[in-house]
Amino acid sequence: MASGVGVNQECLSAYQELKLGKKSKYIIFGLSPDNTEVVVLKKSNSADYDEFLVDLPENECRWAVYDFEFEKEGGAGKRNKITFFSWSPDDAKIKQKMLFASSKDALRRSLVGIAAEVQGTAYDEVAHESVLDKVSRGA
Amino acid sequence: MVNYGGDEVSALVVDIGSSSIRAGYAGDDTPKAIVPTTYGFTEESPSANEDIKMSEANEGEETEKPRVNLYIGQNGPSLWRENMEVSNPMQNGLIVDFNPISPLISHCLNDVMRCNPSEHPVLVTEPAWNTQENRERMAEIMFEEFQVPAFYIANTGVLNAFAAGKGSALVIDIGQSAASVTPVVDGFVLRKGLQYSSLPQLVTAHARHLLINPTSRRPAIHLWPQQLIASKQPVDAGQNPKFELRSDRVAKTTASWKKWAEDREVDEWMQSVAGVVDQGWNEQFAHQRGPKHYEFPTGYNYYFNGIERHSVGEQFFTHSRQLVETNPNLPKHLPALISSALSACDPDLRQVLMGNVVLSGGGSQFPGLADRLANELTRSFPHVKIHAPGNPIERRYGGWLGGSILASLGTFHQLWISKEEWQEHGRAIVNQRCK
Repeated sequence: MASGVGVNQECLSAYQELKLGKKSKYIIFGLSPDNTEVVVLKKSNSADYDEFLVDLPENECRWAVYDFEFEKEGGAGKRNKITFFSWSPDDAKIKQKMLFASSKDALRRSLVGIAAEVQGTAYDEVAHESVLDKVSRGA
Repeated sequence: MVNYGGDEVSALVVDIGSSSIRAGYAGDDTPKAIVPTTYGFTEESPSANEDIKMSEANEGEETEKPRVNLYIGQNGPSLWRENMEVSNPMQNGLIVDFNPISPLISHCLNDVMRCNPSEHPVLVTEPAWNTQENRERMAEIMFEEFQVPAFYIANTGVLNAFAAGKGSALVIDIGQSAASVTPVVDGFVLRKGLQYSSLPQLVTAHARHLLINPTSRRPAIHLWPQQLIASKQPVDAGQNPKFELRSDRVAKTTASWKKWAEDREVDEWMQSVAGVVDQGWNEQFAHQRGPKHYEFPTGYNYYFNGIERHSVGEQFFTHSRQLVETNPNLPKHLPALISSALSACDPDLRQVLMGNVVLSGGGSQFPGLADRLANELTRSFPHVKIHAPGNPIERRYGGWLGGSILASLGTFHQLWISKEEWQEHGRAIVNQRCK
């Protein structure tokens, strides 16, 4: 079941820039004001994970793509995993939660090459350690 | 293609459950009409004009086509009527008898909401284990009888997950007749993990059994409903009740109505007195919770102690060995439902699901149930997070609410099955479009 919300072309080009061009570290996606389209809200190349968390508001839903970089255990070198975030805090409005949950598939399917996915409703679920734990499995 | 401009389509949302049918406008946060699904009916065979004997009417059901009077709504089954039978079209969350469905829906939409369904697209909900024939039949009723311009049927599991803002979730829905555990992954039900049982019926049966049988400290309790009681006198707690029955009514009361009315007494007793201990069964803990006072319509009143009160809720989580041995078809309790649902899922997925448990349905508001569930689950899984809306309306009508939001989205309108499409493609389009 889906909401029928479309994905703006800009989302794809921003994602290509992140994936292929490595021009940005993360992208924040949201819905257009009339709730008909997924749009890019922010592109950033800050490597600070905390800054990324600041961009996930306390009471509004977002999607995000983060180019997660981590050190593989045993000194096997650095790994990168492009991680998809569905951010839907408990305090968000129910209509927004519904919209984001039912529209996620449209965005997710158009982004090719996502290595891990995180569904978060509270900050502890998107904290650096929990995400690291998730992406480093099977890396 | 359907073309509805903008958000101006005031769609209707109809959520049919075993205890009530919820109907309302999409975009609202509570349903406008909440009508009991149980209905009353009397039958008159065309030949008999004054005195109707029930046995006659029953025999004539197939051949003579007796005139059937339906009593629906708030004043339907709850008013006592001579020889009125009571019935419910639902079984285990599924519609098994479609005959009363159109009168019931029509009562909600036309009589209670006073709107004309032929002017509004209608979104209907279904349980995850609904059959293909059932959903097609529902589409047929909507298009052919109610002449709706557009129709969609959506899964309550997915709607509950979406209403909690989750694309993937383990939805635990406890209703009046069925309890279900539905793994939802990216907006789709994982059918192999779907589990349901008639657990709530067992809990009610247990409570009934507890009440109507005497214990060492109190006599058996009569569950006469207030409709059949002419007068009563106040008595002290635990004393035999002093009441007079309405003898004129008792003789003309049908067995089905009596059963329904007694079950309602049991239900009310459960809602006010019963509970579940939050840390697993322990008689001492249960006893410490203290007694609670409750008075039945007969005037009988009693302080029910903690053990009696909490043994009822315990049926949601554990079944005694004796019960299991004597009943081969015992419905699965919650932990069993959850573990069988999870074992059918990928190990990778289990963690995601346990981190996103959504609790829904009126039965989940049983006092202490959410806490106990959290305790049970944390014992077996490392990262458990239960989403249980504190707002009782959001919890009881989670499925309706999800449907209300979905149907109100401007972008959702391209997914409606329009009347033209129905006429062109027929039944097949329902399964094609509503996945």
